[in-house]
Amino acid sequence: MKDLKHIIEFEDLLQEAYNAYVRRGKEDGLRALGYTCYFMPEVLLDLPGCFSVRLRAPRSGSPDIATYYMSNRTCLYGRCLLERALEGGFNFLDAQMATETCTVTCRFQEHLQLMDIIQNPDFFCEFTDVPFKKNENSIDHYEKQLKAHVLDKLEEHFGIDTSDEALLKAIEEHNEVCRLIREIGSYRKLDHPTITGTEFSIIQLVTQVCPKYLIIDQLREIAEDLKTREPDDKPAYKCRVVLTGSEEDDPYFVQLIEECGALVVADRHCYGSIPGREEIVVGENETPLRAIARHYLETSMCPRFMEQHTMRERKKFLADVAREYKADGIVICQMKFCEYWSYERTIDTLIMPRDFGIPVCSIEKEYVNNAVGQLRTRFQAFVESLEFKKIQGGASK
Amino acid sequence: MKIILKIFGILAAVYAALFAVFYYDLDGKFIYYIFEPMMVRRYDNMKREDTLKTPYDMKEDVMKEE
Amino acid sequence: MKISKKAKMVRDKMKELFVVEKPENEEKGKRDIKKIARDFWYGKPHEERRLGDLYIGDTGLYKHREWRGFVDTMYYFNMIWLYNYGHMVMDIMKFGGGPVKGVVNFSKGLMRYRWMGQTYLTVMHWFDRGLEGMRGPILRGSAWHYRGMVCETIRQFQEMFASDKKLHGGRESEQWKHNIAHNETVSGSIFYGFHDVLEDIPLEMIPYFVTCHVNNHTVLNYIDAAQSIGLPSDPCPMCQAEYGIFVLDDYPDFAPTMITSNEACDGSVATSVIQDWFLNRPLFAMPQPMRYDDPLVQEHCQREIEECWKFIEQQYGVPFNWEMYCKYAEEQNKLTAFEHEKWDVAANTPYYPINGVAQALYRIYYSQDGNRPIWHEIDAHVRKIMNHTVKNKIVTLPKTRHRVIAWSCAPLYYSSWCTWAYNCWGLNCVINMDSLMFDQFLRTDTYEHALEDLSWYNEKAPMRAMAVGGHEHILSLWDYMERFNCDMVVMYDQLQCKGMQGIHGVFEDEFRKRNIHAIWVPHALPDKRTVSRKEIRKIISDYMITVMREEPLDPTLVDFEDDSSW
Repeated sequence: MKDLKHIIEFEDLLQEAYNAYVRRGKEDGLRALGYTCYFMPEVLLDLPGCFSVRLRAPRSGSPDIATYYMSNRTCLYGRCLLERALEGGFNFLDAQMATETCTVTCRFQEHLQLMDIIQNPDFFCEFTDVPFKKNENSIDHYEKQLKAHVLDKLEEHFGIDTSDEALLKAIEEHNEVCRLIREIGSYRKLDHPTITGTEFSIIQLVTQVCPKYLIIDQLREIAEDLKTREPDDKPAYKCRVVLTGSEEDDPYFVQLIEECGALVVADRHCYGSIPGREEIVVGENETPLRAIARHYLETSMCPRFMEQHTMRERKKFLADVAREYKADGIVICQMKFCEYWSYERTIDTLIMPRDFGIPVCSIEKEYVNNAVGQLRTRFQAFVESLEFKKIQGGASK
Repeated sequence: MKIILKIFGILAAVYAALFAVFYYDLDGKFIYYIFEPMMVRRYDNMKREDTLKTPYDMKEDVMKEE
Repeated sequence: MKISKKAKMVRDKMKELFVVEKPENEEKGKRDIKKIARDFWYGKPHEERRLGDLYIGDTGLYKHREWRGFVDTMYYFNMIWLYNYGHMVMDIMKFGGGPVKGVVNFSKGLMRYRWMGQTYLTVMHWFDRGLEGMRGPILRGSAWHYRGMVCETIRQFQEMFASDKKLHGGRESEQWKHNIAHNETVSGSIFYGFHDVLEDIPLEMIPYFVTCHVNNHTVLNYIDAAQSIGLPSDPCPMCQAEYGIFVLDDYPDFAPTMITSNEACDGSVATSVIQDWFLNRPLFAMPQPMRYDDPLVQEHCQREIEECWKFIEQQYGVPFNWEMYCKYAEEQNKLTAFEHEKWDVAANTPYYPINGVAQALYRIYYSQDGNRPIWHEIDAHVRKIMNHTVKNKIVTLPKTRHRVIAWSCAPLYYSSWCTWAYNCWGLNCVINMDSLMFDQFLRTDTYEHALEDLSWYNEKAPMRAMAVGGHEHILSLWDYMERFNCDMVVMYDQLQCKGMQGIHGVFEDEFRKRNIHAIWVPHALPDKRTVSRKEIRKIISDYMITVMREEPLDPTLVDFEDDSSW
């Protein structure tokens, strides 16, 4: 397929946390607000006067100093973030809007509080408590937390307008990005998709790590471009897969899967768009903040949720995504030392084939992708097994 | 009197025997060398249900208002 | 007479099992009768005890139990060994619903469940390990704590066995219908409002938690089972074992519902995904907020507790009883008040009659379990002993060289390390982190106050009280060091605890900055294979020799084998 517009530029932007657009945003006088988790509503950090930066540590090597602080038995994502911070890679941040949602990223953010790492006199790190359920009590709680620990702090520190009008505007702008991403992503549902998982991953990530006002035009152009993009006559892939799992912010990992012959048609993982790019709907008699709180709780499929029906629905949701995107299988990819996804992966690996008839490739990987050879072997074997299943299925018909 | 002395004697013998069990850790030795290995063999060979076959149906919210 | 080969074998075995080798340097020939008599009556002085010589190989068994002097040995025999064995039988009958029924159910449970048969009969050795070298009031006080835990353990498993469907042909008895199963980390205080009508029984406390202390081999089966279905090996092994019990079909089915919690960590949350699958019955999740110091979270936590009560009401048709709640909350307050008295004595005097392991285990057990009559009974015994030691200024651990505070989560398979540390090096583990949680009185003047305090109580649960909600909690070590007048820290280093691993370096920096003697003790919570007991001892001994430049009080305890011990 011919190159998608802006894809190379976007790929370049992902090489650094303090990329060209973040730099421009700062130069334009905006406040850069870091976050790590879906439970920190991106839309609140994109209020006028500031922009959200979901933290990544691209091109990480060995996080030696961070390993001293956080030992080598914690998730490499958290350690690489700390290492990058210690190297000065996050000095552009004006604030870290933190959540105590997973232990390791929480500890990383606590280091930002404890140690004078971010060389920015305006910098502060504020924690928000996030509930474990999606019921009314939880939504009430979450709303209060976002008000006190996000909005009030932004107003107090930076004079950000956090009125309902400002929130509605932010929601509108956020929704446009969501619409565009969903439109772009919908081309993966086609019988012959006109966008690869790698390309989509790059686009989705860029919307999380750059000021949105600087990329919105490019997104519109990409969406327009895709309307006429033709698929290859002979597709390079042999099967279609859903990628699910823990934190995944490396488009080259998606590329690795696709090089083995499996087109990644859906990204149901942290940093992914399913969920993540649903439009926020402000209900009747509902404040914008309430709508935001409700939205982020209701849409999230994080394994942190504990209610019985929510835990079980996650499996069905995953199966539904696989069916919607016509996937032949699911790649469940867990970051090593991720406690939540260790268990979620274990049960998904057993339940998805048994109850939903969906084959699974279950892997554990590091944030710094060193075991490329081994992963390639696993993916190739999985692709072959899916091909074989297709052949057997065709033969039996 | 004789009976009382006899009972007292038996109790004293039992007490002394228990003390010997206590002092020479005979209870520990019995459990370690005889009882535990026997029980472990039993548990290892027990037929158990395959819990992985437990169904995983969708559940309703247990707190849903009726 | 020529001794046959078999007879020689028997003789050698008997020697191995019963004969303590005399030390090489002991003078032969002249015997000091006065010393022998003194040692018989008072027991050998600490430095002459040679406790390590009593062990049989690496089994942890004794060639003979310690001679602690006539009075203490008789006390141990009568009031600990005989008393506990006797009371265990009585408890089995009492809590099993009668002599015959109790024994029958107990036997069925013993034959069915590995955690029962492989673990709990070895319980007196658990006493032995924790009470090694103890004399006088500290022997008595610590043994009472153990007695309390044994009694409550029996009560719980007898309740389970009496209603367990697996032991009664799949039948759902009336008792089954009145039981509530919950994560061991859900505090018993939640159920006070239903206490006399419904029975709340933690699911994993007896099959998992207590077994790790009593016989550290049992839990390995459950950890391996958890990993056999695909779980990686790095998550917390406590959580692994908690669902491994299900994989091996070794969990008792004694209740129609389950209540889970996010206490203590991510692993606890994640485990409930798999527990839910295997239990496959109505399940209520009752998480507590992470940022619990934040006043804004309290109402949310209170609502969660109320939702839990509503769930119980809906499932069992039993209304929450406010008077019942008040009754048991006030009883619990008495336990908390006495705990404060104990801390006061421990912190400010050398007269505290409870050793480190008894303090740690009893505290976590009763505070997590909730109010029961046995705790008050035990506290009455301990109060008497403590009043006696304080009034008469009896130094309970006279060979104390260093007062130690133990921080972070302890190795469950070696909870008695502090007994060894005192006997070998004079390290007196005065207090540990998990003793300091649940530090909350429960007001009962109004419903609002009650709920507020209950919410706080549950937020300050074991591990999470210090490990979550902000770094200032885990770094409160310095304040507690000062409060308990400790000059040394034993820093437990649970290798699979992401929360504690994630702040490791900060502690290293702080120990250096504050010039604190801190011994890092790595371990894998219930899994003895990662870091053995011997390795833990070596780490401590190495520190005492190379850094503190001290000589051991009992050199026979510096290096010995115990790989196969319980």
